[in-house]
Amino acid sequence: MKTERDRTDACARVSWRTLLPVALLVGVAIAQVTLARTAGLSPWKGGGFGMFSTTDDAGRRHVRIFVSAADRSEEMAIVPSLEDAARRAAVLPADTELSRLARRVVDREARYQRPIDTVRIEAWRIDYAPGTLAATTRLLREFVYRVDAAAAPRR
Amino acid sequence: MWTRLLRPAADEGGPPDAVLTLTAIILLLRPFEIWWIAPFVLAAACLSLVFRPVRRAPATWLLVSALVAARIVVVWPLSDNHIYLLAYWCLAIGLALSDPRPAATLSASSRWLLGAAFAMAVVWKAVLSPDYVDGRFFRVTLLTDERFADAALVFGGLSHQQMVENRTFLEPLPEGAALLNPPDFVEPPRLRAFATLATWGGLLLEALIALLCLIPAGGRIELARLAALLAFCVTTYALAPVAGFGWLIATMGLAHCPANQPRWRGAFIAVFVLILLYSEIPWTGVLADWTGR
Repeated sequence: MKTERDRTDACARVSWRTLLPVALLVGVAIAQVTLARTAGLSPWKGGGFGMFSTTDDAGRRHVRIFVSAADRSEEMAIVPSLEDAARRAAVLPADTELSRLARRVVDREARYQRPIDTVRIEAWRIDYAPGTLAATTRLLREFVYRVDAAAAPRR
Repeated sequence: MWTRLLRPAADEGGPPDAVLTLTAIILLLRPFEIWWIAPFVLAAACLSLVFRPVRRAPATWLLVSALVAARIVVVWPLSDNHIYLLAYWCLAIGLALSDPRPAATLSASSRWLLGAAFAMAVVWKAVLSPDYVDGRFFRVTLLTDERFADAALVFGGLSHQQMVENRTFLEPLPEGAALLNPPDFVEPPRLRAFATLATWGGLLLEALIALLCLIPAGGRIELARLAALLAFCVTTYALAPVAGFGWLIATMGLAHCPANQPRWRGAFIAVFVLILLYSEIPWTGVLADWTGR
């Protein structure tokens, strides 16, 4: 036999006020799984509740930044002003985050009046072998940002 | 419409004050670092703790939910999952307080949110992550994550020296590279058993909670649901370094407790405090020192 509370609970279940929060949760989670599968988003992030499910977390990802111009080609250290953008790019190595990081690099180089034509960013993660746990690094994404091409649409 | 959002929910049929109070405490315990969000969230939490009408007004929680959502957007994609759950939970509170049956609506919301969150966690662990069910995740994490190191020493039977050597072994090499003299990797049977227990114990308990929350039934199922949530909080957050998630689960469990079950309500409040103690007392470190590990 149902109690009064059961009956009110059953009524509340069909209320939009009950369904809206969980609908948002499910919608975001589906988007997170899609991004993780198609754009390399770390399963730990993005609202899909994939934390503690894989070693592919933010701490085991990193980016490397290479800048080049007519008379230079070198790897850049991740300085504090680039750390936030680098962390985001490592967690989600999609065009938007990698472009954001590349623009920060271009702005920084411009501040120091150093020539720059191209920013190349590599996103890496660590893999552990089944059984032996031997660790290797694996390239997730390579992204090239050309300064002239990026500036062209703005003209 | 707008005046209704400012009107406090009545006591009769309303959610227990403890649910709203604990949610405000969660906001204070883990403040957000964005300067134009954190002060307003903290102010809303403080005012809701001090003033009952603020605490029971839908607008308070809808505003907090919007601020938490703004924080998620601003730091995208770096927010942890419990921040998302906090945003959904504050939204659920705001919507429930504006409903004619606030307690029942919030109780149902908490069940659905917990069911969906745990179901997604199970999908990631059991289906989408190949390195979880084969044990790799916990075998690696117990050794490399500093927050689990003391537990690995105490329960896994490792020595400090073995831990250092194992961490060296787990340093990555470039793809295709191999060392001429690789360091030794020591994995005592106790450590392997601990990793296996954490892997399967966690997965089975999470699957059970998802199932019990997604079955829309009362009675024994409801009590089993509450017991499973308590068991999860007591065991998981003793080791897992994510108190924010634990506090939310305890608070949502409290919101789901029947009004005529004060013992269950007391148990969830006790678990909330227990998770606070877990997060502030390095008990595995103390045990490691006592046992000479």
